Amino acid sequence: MVSQNIVVKNKSGLHLRPAGLLSQIAQKCQSEITLVKGEKRVNPKSVLYLMAAGIMCGDEITVECEGSTEVEDLQTILDAINSGLGE
Amino acid sequence: MKIRNVERPASRGIAIGKAYVVEKQELIASGYTAGNPQEEIKKYEDAVNAVADSLETLAGDNPIFAAHLELVRDMALAEGVKTRILGGSNAEQALSDTIDEFRMIFEMMDDEYMRERAADIQDIRNRLMCRLKGMEETSFDGIQEEVILIARDLAPSDTAKLDLNLVLGFITQEGGVTSHVSIMARNVGLPALVGVEQIMEEVATGDEVILDAVEGAIVLNPDGETRAQYREKQEKFRKREQELESVSHLPAVSEDGHKVQVCANVGSLDDISLAVTKGIDGIGLFRSEFLYMDNTHFPTEEEQYEVYKKAARLCEGEVIIRTLDIGGDKALPYYTFDKEENPFLGWRAIRISLDLRDVFKAQLRALLRASAYGKLCIMYPMIISLEELQEANQILTECKEELIREGKAFNPDIRVGMMIETPAAVLNVRRLAKEVDFFSIGTNDLTQYLLAVDRGNQKIAKMYDSFHPAVLTAIRQIIDAGHEAGIPVGMCGEFASDEKAVQMLLGMGLDEFSVNAGAVAGVKYRIRSSSYRECTKLADDIRELYTIKEVMERLQ
Repeated sequence: MVSQNIVVKNKSGLHLRPAGLLSQIAQKCQSEITLVKGEKRVNPKSVLYLMAAGIMCGDEITVECEGSTEVEDLQTILDAINSGLGE
Repeated sequence: MKIRNVERPASRGIAIGKAYVVEKQELIASGYTAGNPQEEIKKYEDAVNAVADSLETLAGDNPIFAAHLELVRDMALAEGVKTRILGGSNAEQALSDTIDEFRMIFEMMDDEYMRERAADIQDIRNRLMCRLKGMEETSFDGIQEEVILIARDLAPSDTAKLDLNLVLGFITQEGGVTSHVSIMARNVGLPALVGVEQIMEEVATGDEVILDAVEGAIVLNPDGETRAQYREKQEKFRKREQELESVSHLPAVSEDGHKVQVCANVGSLDDISLAVTKGIDGIGLFRSEFLYMDNTHFPTEEEQYEVYKKAARLCEGEVIIRTLDIGGDKALPYYTFDKEENPFLGWRAIRISLDLRDVFKAQLRALLRASAYGKLCIMYPMIISLEELQEANQILTECKEELIREGKAFNPDIRVGMMIETPAAVLNVRRLAKEVDFFSIGTNDLTQYLLAVDRGNQKIAKMYDSFHPAVLTAIRQIIDAGHEAGIPVGMCGEFASDEKAVQMLLGMGLDEFSVNAGAVAGVKYRIRSSSYRECTKLADDIRELYTIKEVMERLQ
């Protein structure tokens, strides 16, 4: 498994639209992906779980990937979050 | 006739017309005995595919429907429903229970925006439920004439089917100012009041309704006299909106040719993008605080440089950037301030900048470097002494020298000004004027400090009044001292957009009115319909008045 921390910079956090985009991207990855915020662990392939995690601007989260393409997938997710997810 | 008052109009305007109450069919899950689980799952999957298809057509250029499409196809939703079906529920009940669980999570969240997303989830539920039941979704076919639409709430799926040409305005029982219907109403310029409790019970389709989303009132079944009053009010509002619209892109010149600047106060790059569409002469106050507050560390020079560069490019006119202006009343996530008895008299604004030298230098260097890309100006907040101003300017000179050594571009003649918002600065104003290129009067703090009245204290809120003759005398002295030294004087407090104050300030000789983007047209309209000569006389008369009451009477 590979993992890395990242700070979310979207002004209103991962609300409906950015969460929708991130889950689309996550769904294309083959790895098992988990976003960890404090005690909460969510699967970003579900937009409902993603939004329910209440990830706000400035939150530091951990992205974990497990699977045969874990290294590429981790980078894909980090890049997506860094890009601001369409905002 | 019945009148109701409503706070916070969601979208301004006045509408008079017949009510059309949107009765949503109750989409309660029916309790039929579940068939074979595989059949129920198939039923659910068919519904998902059908709804997804219809959303796909809507999603083309609408990001809300694109996000709803993701929600309908959500794997967590599908898993929840399937698990319940396998546990013996029918498809409708399984959907209803799964959605309820998610909705509760959202309704309990701290963030207002996230709480209102519970409505998006409900919208998905209703679409799927309609399919499962083989029913039509909400329809507005009954609307034959122009109506005021009254509903519990309106979802994007509802309004997408709505013919807006037949809608005069919206009243909803639920929702807040960031709910879908509020945002949509503002976009299309229709009046709306939201969160109006009990309205569904009080109004029936066909009732006559007056929707006043200017002052915040709803009149049910008005009498002839009230209707006539509102027709007049509506006409006035429309006329004024038209006039405002027509002057907003004309220069701020009085009838007799005296020209001033009308600028915008902003707190982010998005604000600038909006403000430049409102016919502004420049940005009179760019609050740099958001860079520090929405962050995990003191913003680096590079981070700030990128933002200031964008700001300079977004606006053709001058952009006055105020250096960090925070204090112990605001927390930074990455820096702990000591608890202070009196944060407004404490370690704040320029005092922090002069103490945290590296933080200040990062900001000044970023500002200087960005000045190569547009008309950036620097403004220091909360100065109380000549020493502070000279020290800040000394640091600025150091930064310039460093940049020259490093071969980095900047505008060597960048204009530097200060806020006048402390009594000490007012008393020293003539000397301070010799050290800067412009003044900007911060009336909010100036009033609070001059009158020794805490703005936030409800008990004395009435005493906080910028029309107090002491405040007016101070404003006059600042303007006079600036002009004596040959520098322009602006104002970036709320007072600059106060309808009653604009003509007086014009008469005092204020050079620049910096106001919220929404107030630009109103201030311009006032200036353009004033005679500078008469305003000067008004300002002179007010000099001789020593009570707020007399001042207000003269301004009537």
